Amino acid sequence: MMFKAAPAGKKGPYFVVLLLMAATLAGCSVFQHPPEAPSSPPGANSPSGPGTAQPQPAPPSEATPVPEPPKAPPKQFKLSPATHALVQQAHNQAHAGAFAPAAATLERALRIEPENPLLWIELGQIRLSENNPGQADAMGRKALALATGDPQAQASSWRLIAESLRVRGRNQEAADADKKAGALSTRS
Amino acid sequence: MARSGSKKFRRIFWLGALAVVLGLGVAATFYILYLDHLVTRQFEGRRWTLPAQVYAAPLELYAGLALSGGDLEHELQRLQYRRVERLEHPGSYRVQGSRIDVALRAARFADEESRPAAILSVVSTDKGIESIRDSDGKDLPIVRLEPLLIGSIFPIHGEDRIVVTPQEVPTLLPQALATVEDRKFYSHHGVDPTAIMRALWQNMRAGQIEQGGSTLTQQLVKSYFLDPRRTLGRKVREAIMAISLDAHFSKQDLMNAYINEIFLGQDGDRAIHGFGLASQFYFGKPLSELDLSEVALLVAVVRGPTYYDPRRHPDRVRARRDMVLKLMAERGIVKQADALAAEKKPLGVTARAAGAYFPAYLDFVRRTLRRDYHEQDLTEAGLRIYTSLEPRAQEQAEKALERELARLDKQKKYPDSKLEGAVVVTSPQSGDVIAIVGSRNVGYDGFNRALDARRAMGSLVKPFIYLTAFETGRYNAATVVQDAPVAIKLANGTVWRPENFTRQTYGPVPVVHALAESLNLATVGVGMDVGLPKITETLGRFGLEHLPAQVPAMLLGTIEVTPMEVAQLYNGLANGGFRTPLRAVRAVISAEGKALKAFPLEVTPVATPEVVFEVDRMMEQVMEKGTGRAAKAVLPANLVVAGKSGTSSDYHDNWFAGFSGSHLAVVWVGYDDNLPTGFTGSSGALPIWARLMAGLGTTSWEAPMPESLAETWIDYSSGLRVDKSCSDPNTVPIAVPVGTELPMKPGCGGNSLQSIVERAGEWIRDLLH
Repeated sequence: MMFKAAPAGKKGPYFVVLLLMAATLAGCSVFQHPPEAPSSPPGANSPSGPGTAQPQPAPPSEATPVPEPPKAPPKQFKLSPATHALVQQAHNQAHAGAFAPAAATLERALRIEPENPLLWIELGQIRLSENNPGQADAMGRKALALATGDPQAQASSWRLIAESLRVRGRNQEAADADKKAGALSTRS
Repeated sequence: MARSGSKKFRRIFWLGALAVVLGLGVAATFYILYLDHLVTRQFEGRRWTLPAQVYAAPLELYAGLALSGGDLEHELQRLQYRRVERLEHPGSYRVQGSRIDVALRAARFADEESRPAAILSVVSTDKGIESIRDSDGKDLPIVRLEPLLIGSIFPIHGEDRIVVTPQEVPTLLPQALATVEDRKFYSHHGVDPTAIMRALWQNMRAGQIEQGGSTLTQQLVKSYFLDPRRTLGRKVREAIMAISLDAHFSKQDLMNAYINEIFLGQDGDRAIHGFGLASQFYFGKPLSELDLSEVALLVAVVRGPTYYDPRRHPDRVRARRDMVLKLMAERGIVKQADALAAEKKPLGVTARAAGAYFPAYLDFVRRTLRRDYHEQDLTEAGLRIYTSLEPRAQEQAEKALERELARLDKQKKYPDSKLEGAVVVTSPQSGDVIAIVGSRNVGYDGFNRALDARRAMGSLVKPFIYLTAFETGRYNAATVVQDAPVAIKLANGTVWRPENFTRQTYGPVPVVHALAESLNLATVGVGMDVGLPKITETLGRFGLEHLPAQVPAMLLGTIEVTPMEVAQLYNGLANGGFRTPLRAVRAVISAEGKALKAFPLEVTPVATPEVVFEVDRMMEQVMEKGTGRAAKAVLPANLVVAGKSGTSSDYHDNWFAGFSGSHLAVVWVGYDDNLPTGFTGSSGALPIWARLMAGLGTTSWEAPMPESLAETWIDYSSGLRVDKSCSDPNTVPIAVPVGTELPMKPGCGGNSLQSIVERAGEWIRDLLH
């Protein structure tokens, strides 16, 4: 895991800020469904409720909260020369109004780097141009999940989500998403 | 009187005769006009009657791709590129140390109508591709090889063809055809009376029909109307039609129609028509790339595709090919020396027919398209269909299934029944289905188990039960649950008492342990606590279309699903909680090059990245410590994968479903008649899955952990938290929400104060670095 290999960086002054940021973010799920977003109520380990087989309380011992992992230094996703060339091509196609071919070109790039959030954001923007805010939103959330550790990419993901919400008239949620993007931008 | 009477009679007779002749003439004229109409309509119509061509995914080449020089050569050979010393024409390559120069063919893609032929230099080491340059030495960021033609969708009556334009035909072919089949083709008017007389004379001498005097035009007509009778009436009809065609169309049009029309072989229920397809069928490469000996071989086959079948009767066809070459040299079409050199060449026919290799995959493509297209559009409109099939993955899947089932045959319970299997492989993030195997007889177009075998999913349902439990916020991977006897009163009054596979009970265990060891009783307990409606709803969200009845037995996987449905469900787990409709078809392009339909990538969030990560992390432990651990012996040492085994009650079906960073594979093994196999998912399907994954050259599962989760280590048996530094083999890593309170295991690393001090120490060390 990435935090295992956290190299010593110039993280001293930012460290506390990062922790605070993450703590606020930890509460807000990027996902709207299902309603019972996973939070971690104290005592999650000895739940109560109806059922035929109750989860067993652990043997008595001091229960301590699992701490937040030390933050890895922020990373920054980049495009490889191959995907960069495809993104350029997609931009040219989109510029000429050829959105479907642009999307097909971005899918080529995604097959090469499926875990690069920047490509999902690009594809989400094409979906916005195609007037498909639902898919733009979903791509933004996919990008966000992949962008962990890269505040820039996270901010871009939130901006895409914000735009997709605004198009659908969900202005309050859009403003919230923009706020998250803003907070992340200052972090990097 | 008598004289004038006979005169009168004679006049009447002649008038009558004239009327009859005129009448016959009018009738004959109408008949000829009718035949003329019939044959010209057929000729015009045929130009556009072409089955849809189906293509695999093209291989993308770029610096950094893990493709060695040897792998690249293998991929080029799959596309029938020839290794040469000097690059001459497209479809060849040469190897110069670590550099491979490729004369790339022109190609068409789903999103690019015509990519011209070009020369590339690819430098590749064992690690992969280092650079790709064009003929001017300019770096190319990305280039793709042309997509492999994997088959076509031909009509029920079985005529398959690839239509070629005159520019795609080697000039030798029409010359050879005219020389061998119809010497006066360019001068006669559709029929050749001298040839008919010659044939008659020879046939009379031989006492049987040895030679036909048909011109190419007559053969063309014969092929259009497929009438096997050898009657005089039919011959006359054919002759009239041939003259009619000759009058309407140029010799070049007729020659080209002939080249695209004529029957050249049989492949099961598929009839190979035209030289374009015959070239692919016998040599696996485009017609334009055939050399003299190959052209001569196809011309030899024209006379009798069954009698001169190059795969069944190589000696016969060889003798006739050499005769064709001699004739060509005699008539001065080729040099004597070239003909002699060509005679020395082997037949060069591929072992298996190219195309139609992957019947289960093509079946899936056909079903996808039938939703949007009429049968006739697919078989006649000349569509080009671009799919996601990856030939390399498909080969690995076939090989893994064939080999491991052969091994299992030796241990099976029912020697008379044939153990069967199915495999589906996807790229989880794109939802591309890259390989499908529907039977251990991989080349057989029969019952497609990947799509149609609906079997109990067994323990494959468990990850979705725990995922639903995590969503309630009341469970996590370390939650201790009771694996103890359960008795559930059913609606019909009976009592359901499920058992573990081993018929033992395991007492209190953490959830990660219950999943990894696939404990039934613990899972039923959690499932009943969470509630059947919620679990059913989760399965629906992940893409299960036929939702099961909400009976407690569903918790142990009585739900019947196909391997493809399992792939859809698990794809959501492999894709971080995003559902992506699995797709085989990327695009459909019309004969004129217009994009008709695209199947764009779609994602839908169906669970939070957090709960999916927690479950996936537990599925990693299935492979490390649980029922999937045997795969470790086969997989590369550091490859991280996650998966789950499944065995339905009484061993009827066994499953394994799992994923790496770049691939998801689902394997089913069982009997068609639903006999118990005697194997579990771990002993039956797992070895196939492991061999397949090892062969794919896949990447580790390393999804980023959501920021609201933390990794922690617990004791596998008790669920108590332990310090990572505790070198106890019984500890496992899990992901839980930050702040989850977990009791510490006394003893090793149990002192939390101590661990805080240690952490602080580490932090200070980091700062000082």
